[in-house]
Amino acid sequence: MRMKPYLKRSLTVVVVGGLSAVLVAGCSSGTPEASAPERDLGTPVAGEIGDGVLKGVTLTYAASGGIFQDGQTKAAWEPFAEKSGATFLQDAFDSGKLKAMVDSGNVSWDVVNTTQFDTARGCGTLYEEYDYSQIDMSKIPEGTVTDKCMVPNILYGLVVAYNTDAFGDNPPTSAADFFDTKKFPGKRTVSQSTYVDPQTAEFALVAQGKDPSTITTDDIDGAFDMYRSLGSDVIGWTTGAQAQQQLESGEAVMGLVWSGRGYGAAAAGAPIAPMWDDWMIMVDSTGIPKGIKDKQAAFAAVNYYIGAEQQAKMTELTSYGPVNTDAKPKVDKKLGTWLTTEHMATGHAPNVDFWVKNYDVLATAWAGWATGS
Amino acid sequence: MSQISAPSRPRVTSAGKVGSEANQRAPRNWKPFLLLVPAFLIVSLFFLAPLVDVFIRSITDPRLGLQNYVWLFTTETNITVTVRTFGTALLVTVVCVLLAYPYAYLMTIVGDRTRNLLQLFVMLPLWTSILVRTLAWMVLLQDTGPINGFLETAFGIGPLPLIRSTFGVALAMSQVLLPFMVLPLYSAMSKIDKRLLPAASNLGARPITAFFTVYLPLSRPGIFAGSITVFILGLGFYIIPSLLGSSKEIMISALMYQQISVFLMWGQGTALGIFLLAATVLILVVVGRLSKGASMFPGVEK
Repeated sequence: MRMKPYLKRSLTVVVVGGLSAVLVAGCSSGTPEASAPERDLGTPVAGEIGDGVLKGVTLTYAASGGIFQDGQTKAAWEPFAEKSGATFLQDAFDSGKLKAMVDSGNVSWDVVNTTQFDTARGCGTLYEEYDYSQIDMSKIPEGTVTDKCMVPNILYGLVVAYNTDAFGDNPPTSAADFFDTKKFPGKRTVSQSTYVDPQTAEFALVAQGKDPSTITTDDIDGAFDMYRSLGSDVIGWTTGAQAQQQLESGEAVMGLVWSGRGYGAAAAGAPIAPMWDDWMIMVDSTGIPKGIKDKQAAFAAVNYYIGAEQQAKMTELTSYGPVNTDAKPKVDKKLGTWLTTEHMATGHAPNVDFWVKNYDVLATAWAGWATGS
Repeated sequence: MSQISAPSRPRVTSAGKVGSEANQRAPRNWKPFLLLVPAFLIVSLFFLAPLVDVFIRSITDPRLGLQNYVWLFTTETNITVTVRTFGTALLVTVVCVLLAYPYAYLMTIVGDRTRNLLQLFVMLPLWTSILVRTLAWMVLLQDTGPINGFLETAFGIGPLPLIRSTFGVALAMSQVLLPFMVLPLYSAMSKIDKRLLPAASNLGARPITAFFTVYLPLSRPGIFAGSITVFILGLGFYIIPSLLGSSKEIMISALMYQQISVFLMWGQGTALGIFLLAATVLILVVVGRLSKGASMFPGVEK
């Protein structure tokens, strides 16, 4: 049983070595990185970047994937990389992962796509404040910048998409019509996804005749009760793809869905049309995670992304609305009817400040709604 | 084992000698435990340390106190989803016992080749990616899928709610968890003396009596081991309920994901995690008491 001396020694070495490796690994995280030297990039013009000015820089964009991220990459990130000399990588975004990165001081994303509520809520803690002097904001649609940590990423909407076979002669014309199962019989689909969506609540409040800009916390439960009162006439969607499938198959005759998904169903040949009389204006944020190494390069990338040409191409590839008022995407008639940018007058803007301030109440109500209780 | 335990037995010579002998031998006894060091390091670094971190977060995020646990037990949603989670796991356990028991019994009475084949069939689902399997179920169970299509053409009954229902979730979960029930049951049954059943009928017992008084009690260790494994694994399912269920089948793991990754309320998310762990340990202890003498871990003898 007695251990051979050399075995004993090597075992000690392994144990001590292993322990010290662990200690070293544990201590080495959190070392501050030296910030990149400021370069002179000149006055920013949306959609422009100097030749080879970012050689050697690597940037990573994290977004929700699919055709949406592919389209953005083709329209903006690839040309940006080619012109500036930077390397552009793509990754999948997750808020929890971002928080873990920022908390551990080891951030590997430079530009991210998230909701305007996320950047407003995490401004200064999870997201960097923008230096708007490094970005050409002159062509950004009015009212779409909702906090200091965001530049709009896309302009889209939560719209009622309805089946024209069912309601072609007498289409719904207000948010209240969505809840009127007598006049408009059939199943409705509405978001019950894990991802909290304050504008689903706002839509119900609009249907009650309330103005989103003056709502109070007492209204929140009432909003979800509106949907619950539809009983078996309401089915939920948990992903955008599912919403589209429910509309295409006719399982739902009406849906409160993202405009891009409604268009997706229409483009697949389903008799689906948008109702523009009451719709919720949605803006996604382009955020910069807190503590990235090269803010200047990230700002330059965002400034390139919001160029008129890039935005037009992005819209053509993804069907989501451009965030540059000069962008003139070449779209066919069908996509044209789904573009939010033509209907801004009847859209309801979100009350971002209210939802950020009362996030706890919203989260509790949403968790209940999204778990069917 | 005898090597280690032998020295601790005191030799009756003189009181002083016993003590000195114990001291002398003590250093020799702990050395085999060095073999535990790699496993201990891995478990403590990658399991215990994060677990402590999770627990600390649950009582300090956003501030020191028990507010996350108060939230956990006073929010209706949490209670509904917890009850639903335990209910689903229990349902799946019962389904697995009912399906696996005859299957495992069959494995004990057939020849080697057939047994290997049966074993292969039960293991197959484990070797397939969970996503692929779940997507296959989605195709099969959906309203316009082959099962509903067959029911409609053959019997003229409209699409049954196979998907987005507890049925679909429990079915897919049972398929995944079946091996964890079959294998411990088989290992318990293969040790039962086959001559006991003929002996019972010799003494006048009808087959049903023989089964309930002789065979079932002897196979109990397998039932306990399999049920505990299936139940506890079933509590943590995430993908299957979210793909095959509706919002009314969502389980506690989805609630945790929502708190951590969507709401960024890590205090509440970690409190849910600690709660699930504590509940699981509690169940293990209670069942451990109930099943005295039976091993709770497949393949481990007591």
